[in-house]
Amino acid sequence: MKNAENVKSASYVQINREIRSIFAKEGVILLSSPEAYATLEWTRNYFNQKPIEGYFIWVKKRVEHPISTCFTISSPKTYQNPTNLVVVEKDVATEIYSICNAAKPILNAEHKSYSKVILKENSMLKMKHFHNWGKNDYVLSSIEFILEKGAKLSSFYKCINPPKKFKIESKTTLDNESSADFETAVLAKNGEIEMFDFLFLNGEKSSGMIKLRMISDENSKISSHSKIVAKGGGKGHIDCMGLLLSESSFINSTPELVNANKNAVLTHEAAIGKISEEELNYLRSRGLSKDEAVNLIVTGFLGEVSA
Amino acid sequence: MLLKIENLSVKTYGKEVLRNISLEIKKGEVHALLGPNASGKSTLTFSIMGFPGYEITYGKILFEGKDITHLPIEERAKLGIALAFQNPPAIKGVKLSHLLKAISKQPLNMNHFLSDNDLLEREINVGFSGGEKKLSEIIQILSLNPKLAIFDEIDAGLDVINLEKLMWIIHDKLIRSGVSLLLITHRGNILRFLEPDVAHVLLHGEIVCSSRNWRKTWKTILRYGYEKCRECKERELCPNQS
Repeated sequence: MKNAENVKSASYVQINREIRSIFAKEGVILLSSPEAYATLEWTRNYFNQKPIEGYFIWVKKRVEHPISTCFTISSPKTYQNPTNLVVVEKDVATEIYSICNAAKPILNAEHKSYSKVILKENSMLKMKHFHNWGKNDYVLSSIEFILEKGAKLSSFYKCINPPKKFKIESKTTLDNESSADFETAVLAKNGEIEMFDFLFLNGEKSSGMIKLRMISDENSKISSHSKIVAKGGGKGHIDCMGLLLSESSFINSTPELVNANKNAVLTHEAAIGKISEEELNYLRSRGLSKDEAVNLIVTGFLGEVSA
Repeated sequence: MLLKIENLSVKTYGKEVLRNISLEIKKGEVHALLGPNASGKSTLTFSIMGFPGYEITYGKILFEGKDITHLPIEERAKLGIALAFQNPPAIKGVKLSHLLKAISKQPLNMNHFLSDNDLLEREINVGFSGGEKKLSEIIQILSLNPKLAIFDEIDAGLDVINLEKLMWIIHDKLIRSGVSLLLITHRGNILRFLEPDVAHVLLHGEIVCSSRNWRKTWKTILRYGYEKCRECKERELCPNQS
């Protein structure tokens, strides 16, 4: 743990229902959500209900290293139900790396997380979230972002080892001059992924982007519903790309734009198809087998960002 | 014999594009394949490489004596055939350095080719200039350490300085190492620089001339046009025809 403490500003690790480690350096308050709810009365305004597990992260000052969180399930039929709250104070910039995973491929586990992230005025958050599940697990990941004036959010969300059923929800509201960029990359195989990304541009000069990269492998189904609503005069863009790898693959992408302000500009682009034969043949001409070429293209499509 | 093509006929999209092509390339030889647009040059390279959609209706392709006519693309590449594409596709999200790591058969000192590593860290052919695409192709070919390198219009769209740079790389790293080359072109600069041992003229899907005197062939083309090469045998415009 000492090594981890050297390179992190704060860390929360929960295995099954038990907190295994929790620490924070100066500038960050990190508590379990039940403790925060009990001891910091103001947090009750943000928790929708009394939490039973999860973390509360309060970033009060700029910190040098990223904050990390990890939820792992290692025992069969475990149910996790964390409620998380993150508050980044005014003018503070920080990074959070999160992992939610199952330690084994067949645990028949369930993970339902509800998170809320408050970015105060002119704060900045870079968030990377990785999911890695077993093939019989059920997962719901729901997160709400509230961006105050001038706040900036960059979110990268990736899952290449999906559960049996995965529901991902995000709702983001943006005040004046704030911006939120979402990049989500998922691969579905022998299961279902359902995504709902809603972005509300409430403030003037706010901007938001939803970029989805979806790969549907055999016996899988992905449905994505992306929506940007502009009440203020901002800019929004939805970019959905899907790849079908098998005859039994399915992707349904529904981008929706609602513009209630004549000064706002909302756009979207979407394409779903198979891997280009031209690209495959090109890589095969370099000596890669068809499977190796597909793997390389898929890896590139989902993005090369790693933890 | 490194590559031997015997009486090859090829159909693509239901149309016969190549007819009765025969061609032999020995180890270390440099061959040029000349021809106007739509004469079948790229069809021949894709057929040698084994791309789907190019149906061999007659004849065969031998590489080092092995019949490769129906081998998959990657097997041909593993045997030592490498193709530099005229218009390589963009592979989004995959950096050139990652591809090189996956395919490389020999370490390369990139300082010989690049002033910095910027190109290596970019997505393959995404936003590459014409010169960068050609350079990327050559770096990939070199990393494959091939026995036969096929360059499909490597000179197309390059300015003189970039062309000269690439020609030096081909000369220094391939020809001097004994790698055989098949150069597809319809420009004279590359011929002057690389001095092919044999120049073939492909016209309407047929090789109408194969000469060991590329200068004479090129002069004929410049003076009379490609069509004149069809009459070559009768008028003896290519006296050194092999």
